[in-house]
Amino acid sequence: MTAAASSDADLIAAHAAGDPHAFSELVRRHRDRMWAVALRTLRDPEEAADALQEAFISAFRAAASFRAESQVTTWLHRIVVNACLDRMRRRQTRPTVPLPEAGPGEPAAPRDAMAERETRLVVLAALNELPEEQRAPIVLVDVEGYSVAETAQLLGIAEGTVKSRCARGRAKLAKVLGHLRNRSAEANVPGSDVQVQQGRQLEER
Amino acid sequence: MTGNVRRSGPPWSVDLLADLHAGALDARTEAELRPIVENDPEALEILAALDATLDDLRNLPDVPMPAAVAARIDAALAAEARGGAGVVVDLAAARRRKRLGWGAGLLAAAAVAVGVVVVALPKGGSPVGDVAAPPAATPSTAPADSSPQPSGGSAVKIPEVAPGDLGAVLGDVLKAQNYGPLENQETLAGCLAGANITSAKPLGVSPITLSGKAAVMAVLPTGQAGKFKLVVLDPDTCGPDNPNGVLATSVIG
Repeated sequence: MTAAASSDADLIAAHAAGDPHAFSELVRRHRDRMWAVALRTLRDPEEAADALQEAFISAFRAAASFRAESQVTTWLHRIVVNACLDRMRRRQTRPTVPLPEAGPGEPAAPRDAMAERETRLVVLAALNELPEEQRAPIVLVDVEGYSVAETAQLLGIAEGTVKSRCARGRAKLAKVLGHLRNRSAEANVPGSDVQVQQGRQLEER
Repeated sequence: MTGNVRRSGPPWSVDLLADLHAGALDARTEAELRPIVENDPEALEILAALDATLDDLRNLPDVPMPAAVAARIDAALAAEARGGAGVVVDLAAARRRKRLGWGAGLLAAAAVAVGVVVVALPKGGSPVGDVAAPPAATPSTAPADSSPQPSGGSAVKIPEVAPGDLGAVLGDVLKAQNYGPLENQETLAGCLAGANITSAKPLGVSPITLSGKAAVMAVLPTGQAGKFKLVVLDPDTCGPDNPNGVLATSVIG
């Protein structure tokens, strides 16, 4: 088993049947994407590595109970995101370590042009500026391409909360990235008009 | 007219427009705002800035997992597959790594790409050198710290290995940063120096039992991808002045 052509679901089934290599193959397929999620969510490469190891071991143990109604990648994402969120909650009072400008925090793909690399670093730095409650939905929706509904499910929050947190985060990023650099400060601050807040969807339902 | 409409027009609230952009407003408010926004150049400029922000985020490339992290996870999964006791992450070791800084992580990454393992035996251990004949090693939970194990956790077993089969506990030792009787990196480095082995911080280090005798094993980089050097040290006698403190070595990969 564990042929390269096997589907993710096949690998899970093989793992549950005792194939010692099936789960490792599954991890190899998805580890770069999961690493990106963990790194962008937690910012600290050491924390990301710890969270991923924890998540993959959890998935290894839980794979036998995996049910095919959800995609394997979604299932894995959920486990990884939950491991990251657990760590985020545990470290609430601790400062985070910013991503280094070189090293495992960034890809070393030779295809990257210098300008592209600089842009990526600027975007990563901007993401680091966001509070964690905004960064997680931004990473899942805008970077990883999950739907609002999927993200709400992953994070265990309402869809309206995902939307409003994404909106807050994007507004901040737009300023940090320079797309709104000419805006006056007062224009960026919500006014005292209570009705605006009331017009927004309730975050928690 | 609602308050939202009264707020519209220069200066626009970026947050309000970001809510509109994200679909976070209720239907009525959105219906009121849309026609105003679509005829206001400044509002359109802000929406374009939000679109540009989304483009930046969507175009972020995947980040390849560093080799050191991949090796560590592979080793942890291998240990789990062998019935490892489920020490998923050693937080004390992680904290120690953090104190050492990310530079140490990079060294570890480079080391995993290569690899060396060091093991130390107490007095009376077997002779130094590569040894043959592999009795089955007993896979066990990798101890990850020299400090006493906290109560409530699973008891940490010392990996047991035969001289000719040092690689059997590679996964366990890779997961650990437990210097055991050697206590710290400095002592380990001294023992290695005594045997004329120079090395960066080990990828993993753990007390082991070699042929029934207590010892310490460390995994060191070799400079070649996928290869690890395993070295066995005698913690009672090894040191900078003792070339016989290394009891066994092996290169795996």
